[in-house]
Amino acid sequence: MSTVEQSTKDAIGQDAEELLRLDGVKKYFGLRGVPFRKAGAVKAVDGVDLVVRRGETVGLVGESGSGKSTLARLATRLLDPTEGRVSISGQDVTTVRGRRLRPVRRKIQMVFQDPQASLNPRQSVGTILTTPFRAQGIRPSRAELIELLHQVGLSEEHLERYPHEFSGGQRQRIGIARALAVRPGLLICDEPVSALDVSVQAQVLNLLADLRDELGLSYVLVAHDLAVVRQVADRLAVMYLGTIVEEGPAAEVYAAPAHPYTRALLSAVPVPDPGAARERIVLTGDVPTPIDPPSGCPFRTRCYKVQDVCATVRPVLEPVAGGEHRAACYFPETASPEISRAPMSERTP
Amino acid sequence: MPDLVWFVIRRLLATVLVMLALSLAVYLIFYALPADPARLGCGKPCTPDRLEQARHFMQLDQSTMQQYLQFLKGIVAGRTFGEGAAAVQCNAPCFGYSFPLARPVTTLILSRLPITASIAIGAAVLWLIAGVSLGLGAALRRGRLFDRFAVGFALVGVASPSFLVGLLAILVFGFWLNMVPVNGYVPLTDSPVDWAWHLVLPWVVLAALNAASYIRLTRAQMLEELNLDHITTARAKGAGEGRVVLLHGLRGVLVPIVTIFGLDLGGLLGGAILTEKVFSMQGLGELLISSVGQLDVAVVVGVTLFSAFLVILANLVVDVLHGVLDPRVGHA
Amino acid sequence: MPEPRKTPSETPVLEVHDLHVTFRTEGGLVPAVDGIDFAVAPGQTLAIVGESGSGKSVSSAAVMGLLPSNADVKGEVLLDGRELTKLTAEELRKVRGNEVALVFQDALSALNPYYSVGWQVAEAYRLHHDVSKKEANARAVRMLDLVGIPSAAQRARAYPHEFSGGMRQRVVIAMALVNDPKVLIADEPTTALDVTVQAQIIQLLEDVQTEFGTALVLISHDLGVVAEVADDVLVMYAGRAAEQGSVKDIFYRAAHPYSLGLLGAMPRVDVPPKHRLTTIPGSPPSPGSIETGCPFQPRCAYTERVGERCITERPLLTPRPGEGNHEAACHLGRRPEIAQEVARTGIQENAAPEGAPLQQSAAQESAPLEHSAAKAEGPLQPSAEESAL
Ligand SMILES: Nc1ncnc2c1ncn2[C@@H]1O[C@H](COP(=O)(O)OP(=O)(O)OP(=O)(O)O)[C@@H](O)[C@H]1O
Ligand SMILES: Nc1ncnc2c1ncn2[C@@H]1O[C@H](COP(=O)(O)OP(=O)(O)O)[C@@H](O)[C@H]1O
Ligand code: SF4
Ligand code: SF4
Ligand SMILES: [Mg+2]
Ligand SMILES: [Mg+2]
Repeated sequence: MSTVEQSTKDAIGQDAEELLRLDGVKKYFGLRGVPFRKAGAVKAVDGVDLVVRRGETVGLVGESGSGKSTLARLATRLLDPTEGRVSISGQDVTTVRGRRLRPVRRKIQMVFQDPQASLNPRQSVGTILTTPFRAQGIRPSRAELIELLHQVGLSEEHLERYPHEFSGGQRQRIGIARALAVRPGLLICDEPVSALDVSVQAQVLNLLADLRDELGLSYVLVAHDLAVVRQVADRLAVMYLGTIVEEGPAAEVYAAPAHPYTRALLSAVPVPDPGAARERIVLTGDVPTPIDPPSGCPFRTRCYKVQDVCATVRPVLEPVAGGEHRAACYFPETASPEISRAPMSERTP
Repeated sequence: MPDLVWFVIRRLLATVLVMLALSLAVYLIFYALPADPARLGCGKPCTPDRLEQARHFMQLDQSTMQQYLQFLKGIVAGRTFGEGAAAVQCNAPCFGYSFPLARPVTTLILSRLPITASIAIGAAVLWLIAGVSLGLGAALRRGRLFDRFAVGFALVGVASPSFLVGLLAILVFGFWLNMVPVNGYVPLTDSPVDWAWHLVLPWVVLAALNAASYIRLTRAQMLEELNLDHITTARAKGAGEGRVVLLHGLRGVLVPIVTIFGLDLGGLLGGAILTEKVFSMQGLGELLISSVGQLDVAVVVGVTLFSAFLVILANLVVDVLHGVLDPRVGHA
Repeated sequence: MPEPRKTPSETPVLEVHDLHVTFRTEGGLVPAVDGIDFAVAPGQTLAIVGESGSGKSVSSAAVMGLLPSNADVKGEVLLDGRELTKLTAEELRKVRGNEVALVFQDALSALNPYYSVGWQVAEAYRLHHDVSKKEANARAVRMLDLVGIPSAAQRARAYPHEFSGGMRQRVVIAMALVNDPKVLIADEPTTALDVTVQAQIIQLLEDVQTEFGTALVLISHDLGVVAEVADDVLVMYAGRAAEQGSVKDIFYRAAHPYSLGLLGAMPRVDVPPKHRLTTIPGSPPSPGSIETGCPFQPRCAYTERVGERCITERPLLTPRPGEGNHEAACHLGRRPEIAQEVARTGIQENAAPEGAPLQQSAAQESAPLEHSAAKAEGPLQPSAEESAL
């Protein structure tokens, strides 16, 4: 196991402070009804439990439409859950609204995917960075703003400039600086690097890692790129059709995925090594519609291990091989997959 | 298709409600005007007695609300004014009765409609063809002389007052060059050639002015459409430029053009007021204007409602076509 | 192991020589592609990689003659020895979609929303074959079936918006293959798709290639995809070739600092994260902004060792050791004492597969954030100093 994954895992005990807790959270989006027609609902998030502790980075992965962004917005209270409880630092904030959300926003902030769209083009960087302070009723000093810019690798001279004068990577840095302004303990990053070029993506990922070390931040990192998540996550949660189907320490889940979906997902990620020989599980078909998900196990329509029992009751997250690693499957995989490559040994120094 | 049927039914129901509300509003507004229609029908000398009689005859002595209900009832069941031998019959659907013209409003509208429709439909076809092809040409020759000319023409067309252009056309083509008749209308059923010949000038004038906005619309939409990826796909498939433009490009521009065209035509069918006036054609617009002049409130209300109905109907047709033309638009 | 690659000596079906594309814009001339060469043989896959704006899409559009009228194209495009840039519009039309076909990144916008997918595939066939509508439709349904669209006969009547992203991309591929082209150019065909669907599409492309012996030009910024399907790779930077060679040359014996940087910046899913990702400071230049010297110079960690030449003299592609025609455009290669340094930090010029692209020096790993140290020791600077605009 890697040194990085090992050390961070050791540092975060089971009893470290809970920054975020979701209990049975659901979000259904109503479809607009038509006369003489039954109106359905998009079950975007369909019963999710998740805990994020101080100092921990939780990766949230899944295919498009699996409910990652919706979950992120529920956690930041940008959306109201249809059912379930959202607690932040031990306080139940499910029904907290308006001005009383202010202290909550201090603890948890969001970074968005598209740095271009999430920054107001008519505001200077200084104004953009002042906004979160204002929302808390604080007037920041110039020094504070400059300090923020330094933290994300920008400098004082950038304060008076406008978003269009920056490159994509720099705009994402501004987005991160804005989220850091009120010194939150937890950052929820929704696809923070997916709009960026590879070289720039690496810059931002490294920045997130540095900030974690310097400020003791926690992250929920939403991404569809499993390689990106592996680079930074301590814990991994895999979503499928609005539910978490597997969850556990990242190193364990990546090394020995237990849920057939996770296994297929991981095997589908191409590896930048022409010598890598890997067993690939090619899933057939598409993700079913979240309006009418399959009965029982949501993955059963595409699963290569499906049995009759899978159509009955939805499997719940249960520990695999003891410990914290859990999967929601009646027939979890136990062996490590054949994803090692033959020339692998030749590469180690 | 059942989606479409439900859609039309729902929209028709909505149309009835809108027409009811609109008719009430129109009724209240025109009957609140200081003009007294009874005074026109009371003859001379108009003694208070005879005025009262006329009022009663025209059923103007009832309260406004009662009159409105009578009006609605007339649409369904027809109306009779007065009694006995002097009684005036207005058959259903009765949209009021014009005492000065001694005809039911429905009859008046129906007799004038062919003239207006002849002007409107003919001109609309002309401006559609001219506007779209000029706009298309401008888009394809963007920045070149043809484009400049078309855009300039569109600018002039949008800015010109139609009566001025109409009078000028009469002066030039009618009097100076003596090419075409300058007024009058010959029914299509009498002589199709004369019908068209008499309509040439109004058609051309109306079309020239309206084509302007179609040039601009077509040009802008087409430029946008030609930048889309699926146009590149069509070229990459090996489609020739003509096919790319007409089959793939113009297809996407159809929806906005049909929308505007439907609304324009619907509006014009309710009366091409200035054109009819300038070319002395007895259409709906002319009927409306002269009725206003004579304080013939029943006709004013009737024509106004009829025009409004055409506009609403045009909207409905456009929405239905939109769904038919664009597979992404459902009628749910 | 992937199937054995065909030898690069096979006669290429598509050859591009010294391609230049310059756009005339209001802001002046934009040299989007500034002299690239490539070739691809039947049944082979050439991958063109590079960051956004490096000129990948423009190159492929130039091959097809699909650039807008404000583009000036120079150079040779040879299809089976025939010069495509000299063809008349009608001759070129007959080549497009017939001998060379294109697959785009975004299948939704690549398909016409107003026509059924069956009609669109059939149209592509009818444009090059004198057949009845019925025959063309039957052919379209067969193609849709071939690319894995379930109940193809029925689905052929559906419109693009009624398909999922992966299914749409299959339709686009069916449309591209309907005339059995010699060359298929796929411009980021899987970028908009989920990995599971991406795997399906890549599989499909490989199957098709085996079955029809199509030459594939795959444009991508995903080195994972490239490693998986490519035989040869062209790395583009700012409209020029930074490096080209066989897939192993690029992944195991990368000789250009930019290729190395890309490889180091790419996180991997199959091995635990050992260290920080290496980064390339700054961001890609806009085309033409660097006129003299090496376009990568402002971001290059090696330039100090080469000195003035990087700024004054444009590096040309020069042969490097490797299995294919491995070439890189960097002054570094001609100075052996620096190659020594390079070898220590990960590039192994002469070694076979054991060269590990991700390996880094111990010095850098232990002090990743001290950039002064890293600058002296490691090739690629860490993130803390990429801030300068
Ligand atoms: N406001 C909304 N109204 C209706 N449906 C919605 C709404 N927001 C999201 N959905 C639906 O909920 C489901 C989950 O959406 P979500 O955006 O959370 O997915 P995601 O996992 O973030 O996907 P991606 O990777 O594409 O960002 C999708 O089916 C989406 O269409
Ligand atoms: N029609 C055009 N006019 C002017 N510049 C263009 C045009 N099309 C592309 N470019 C420029 O050419 C460069 C290369 O673009 P492209 O080939 O699309 O990059 P990519 O490698 O991401 O596919 C970019 O800088 C782009 O801005
Ligand atoms: S519960 Fe059944 S269908 Fe679901 S993932 Fe497990 S084996 Fe597959
Ligand atoms: S030529 Fe110089 S600047 Fe360019 S890549 Fe080589 S070392 Fe770097
Ligand atoms: Mg999302
Ligand atoms: Mg591109």
